[in-house]
Amino acid sequence: MIDNKKINAGKLSGINNILIKSVNIIDPVEEKEYRSDILIENGIIKTVGTDLKTGSSVDFEEFSEGSRIKFANDLILFDASGYHASPGFFDMHVHLREPGDEDEEDLESGTSAALRGGITSVACMPNTNPPLDRDFLIKDIKNRALMYGFNVYPVAAATKGLEGIEMTEMGILKDSGAAAFSDDGKCIQNAKLMYEIMKYSKIFEMPLILHEEEYSFSSSGMVHDGYYSAVLGLDGIPSLAEEIIVARDIMLAEKTGAQIHITHVSSKGSVELIKKAKEEGVNITCDVTPHHLYFDDSCLKDYNTNFKVNPPLRSSKDRQAIIESVKAGVIDAIASDHAPHLETEKNIPFSEAANGVIGMETLFKAAYTLLCKKGSLSAVKLIKLLTKSPSKILNINTGKISPDSMADFVILDLERESVIRKQDFFSRSSNSAFIGEKLAGETVLTVCNGKIGFINNNVNLEKETGKF
Amino acid sequence: MLGVKNIIDIDDLSSEDIKLIMENADSFAEVLERDLKKVPTLRGKTLVNLFFEPSTRTRTSFEIAAKRLSADMINFSASTSSLKKGETIIDTVNTIQSMVVDLLIIRHSDSGVLNFISRNINTPVINAGDGKHQHPTQALLDLYTIKKSFKSFKDLKVALVGDIANSRVARSNARLFKRMGMNVSLVSAPMMLPEDMSYFGADIFYCIDDVIKEVDILYMLRMQFERQQRKYYPSIKEYNRFLSLNTDRFGMMKKGSIVMHPGPVNRGIEISETVMNLETEMPARIKINNQVNNGVAVRMALIYLILISRQENI
Amino acid sequence: MKEKALILNDIDIDRILKRISHEIIEQNKGSNNLVFIGIQKRGIPLAGRIAKNISELENIKLEVGKLDITFYRDDLLKRVKPKVEITDIPFNIDDKDVVLVDDVLFTGRTIRASLDALIDMGRPKTIQLVVLIDRGHRELPIKADYVGKNIPTSLNEFIEVNLAEIDGKDSVKICEKD
Repeated sequence: MIDNKKINAGKLSGINNILIKSVNIIDPVEEKEYRSDILIENGIIKTVGTDLKTGSSVDFEEFSEGSRIKFANDLILFDASGYHASPGFFDMHVHLREPGDEDEEDLESGTSAALRGGITSVACMPNTNPPLDRDFLIKDIKNRALMYGFNVYPVAAATKGLEGIEMTEMGILKDSGAAAFSDDGKCIQNAKLMYEIMKYSKIFEMPLILHEEEYSFSSSGMVHDGYYSAVLGLDGIPSLAEEIIVARDIMLAEKTGAQIHITHVSSKGSVELIKKAKEEGVNITCDVTPHHLYFDDSCLKDYNTNFKVNPPLRSSKDRQAIIESVKAGVIDAIASDHAPHLETEKNIPFSEAANGVIGMETLFKAAYTLLCKKGSLSAVKLIKLLTKSPSKILNINTGKISPDSMADFVILDLERESVIRKQDFFSRSSNSAFIGEKLAGETVLTVCNGKIGFINNNVNLEKETGKF
Repeated sequence: MLGVKNIIDIDDLSSEDIKLIMENADSFAEVLERDLKKVPTLRGKTLVNLFFEPSTRTRTSFEIAAKRLSADMINFSASTSSLKKGETIIDTVNTIQSMVVDLLIIRHSDSGVLNFISRNINTPVINAGDGKHQHPTQALLDLYTIKKSFKSFKDLKVALVGDIANSRVARSNARLFKRMGMNVSLVSAPMMLPEDMSYFGADIFYCIDDVIKEVDILYMLRMQFERQQRKYYPSIKEYNRFLSLNTDRFGMMKKGSIVMHPGPVNRGIEISETVMNLETEMPARIKINNQVNNGVAVRMALIYLILISRQENI
Repeated sequence: MKEKALILNDIDIDRILKRISHEIIEQNKGSNNLVFIGIQKRGIPLAGRIAKNISELENIKLEVGKLDITFYRDDLLKRVKPKVEITDIPFNIDDKDVVLVDDVLFTGRTIRASLDALIDMGRPKTIQLVVLIDRGHRELPIKADYVGKNIPTSLNEFIEVNLAEIDGKDSVKICEKD
């Protein structure tokens, strides 16, 4: 069960009837924003409209003094004026570390971290211990996630043991519930094998999520092969390491008709290749991480290991190109590449530290702050990159805010800013690139599968307007 | 008589040749039912089984066929010969030819060896399987088996299931069956299909369930998981899920349909143990042993026709 | 090829076969151990007719088989290739009096091959030979036990036998090769 200590939902957990008043709904499907009320009964959205009433005349209790939330035995009233509502976010690149590395993260801590970030569905990567290359492992993750009332779409390994030598039982893995195939964390170096995997995945209509890295270029590197690698005296990984494989896989996808998705794109060259491939009709999509949008390799000058990631943070030119590509619609999704690591793996000298940062709890905030608040991207377009678009890539139906759908949405306070602090994370790990950053777009309330999964205790939920 | 000197590629045989082979196979099948399963027809003739790739079934089948025709048969396996000492194929063949033989039956693991040998000697040759290229005698005995099971070939639906790319049986059979008017489908995985499929002229499916209810003939090919030290198909479990014949699938096949396999069957891989065990009770549905029996009659017909056709040309 | 003369018409053939049927019964002192084997092609209808005659006369059911001797020929690898027809002898010939039937007796090689085939198939008590026409020119010491008609011929002539079951009509003609 969800850890009540963390969400402090306490008295509210278990109540499935909610009336939300006066929220600005952001609809990524129709691409519009509109003010409305939302009435939820038994976890299902009953009505979306204005001036909804509960029909109940019971006395309500306030959640906390002066709070926007009132509740009775079986109903919650929430004054959401000034807030925004979005369908629950879908983070399509997450490392949940189960099975095997539960001290870094597990399903329980991972789901509560996700819910804090407004995320109600994740696609989790197979580089666990053992890797997700067998059907019973996929089934196990799916079933156990259900216990947490959360939506997990496991991505199965494309090669056995992620060794890049033999393909996995792709048909059987699809049957067991895999949403896609990937060797993420690693990259299949053998072109012929990649070709066969594309041909085989195509007959099952399964997407391939590709982490692109040419090992002969990347094997000793730790940072982007640019100005800063010279300054810092660290071996660099050139953009070519990614671009060569992107180019290779585009050619293979063109020949086979396979559906490919390039994940955590990091370089200008890569986005240019992807843009061209899309124009030529290749079935290709891609995502970027918030940290690649927000930071470039200049951050590394202090050897801060919370900036040590794979692919590395690249030059400002690369970063600008990625931001422009998001605005131009070349990038299809923003995904965190949430990669929890222990203190013992991160709080050590740079050259020894593991690659990766957590990101689910800052996914929306970082992207919103950079692209919308400080940039020119509309909130609707951003929400689309976190909901409709990634769902479409993985052929999944994620939440919508419409009648007869399961209640699956997040209430956001776009104006409120806060500084990211290490001690606030719900994730079991705290290796975040955003520590110390002031970010806007606070998650107020997350409802997942009809139940409240997260309430933000730090937001002063003052009642601002009117009566119920 | 037969319009060809050698039997290397199934497409070398004309429709008349095939008709002739089928008719003569009937006659030899009758001989094989007698108590004395022998006729003196090819007395004094010498045949050589030249097998560079090991095989018990095919080699024995040809040997029995030769002996039933009263011909003399000599078996030559690559491992027992001077090939190991570095003798080339041509030298081997010339040595044998200089001992005056009437017919060579050759199997080799490389495609094209038969063509090479036939260009370099005078003696007629029969292809007993060259690499991935052709296995015409298998196709003919399979055709004969089908002929005995159905009234006509026209529009019969046949599905070949398994590793098409690496199968000489698939090549010979697909071509022959199509030519005889049957409707050929291939069931396989992309890793086991050649890039360009136009030679086969067949519909392609990726799961045996897609064809199981409509086929008249389900032809299962032998599966080999490792080639050139590399596994190119994930696992037996995956094979069972999409490409194997099990009891459930057998139960879905239509009335009068048959199951065939060139043998030997990998039980539990291409065909489940349970279905294999049904053959003795259901010989009208599972034809694998029947194919083997027919193999001798068909090979007798081939050997007979090649040798008497040959004499006419002298 | 040129037709030279009609030797026998349908009525003649019928009478001959009736006569032969009686001879067989007489020689074998009855019919209860007889089996009939016709040699492909035209020996088969002849065997059928004789067996039927005797069947009716003796009120007994008689077995008739078909024998193709292509695989026993000694001239297979030399002359024009004949088409192999079926062999169908669905009964045991051991200890039986086999009546072998052919349309024309010529060099005797066909009969020699038939004898080899029958010996491979079992051990008959006796083998007796019926031919419709004996045209002479034996190359082997073979003799028919029952002959329909002796027709001396020269080597550039041949006998054309037509039977209703195969050719639609009954006749025996001498023809000349070109």
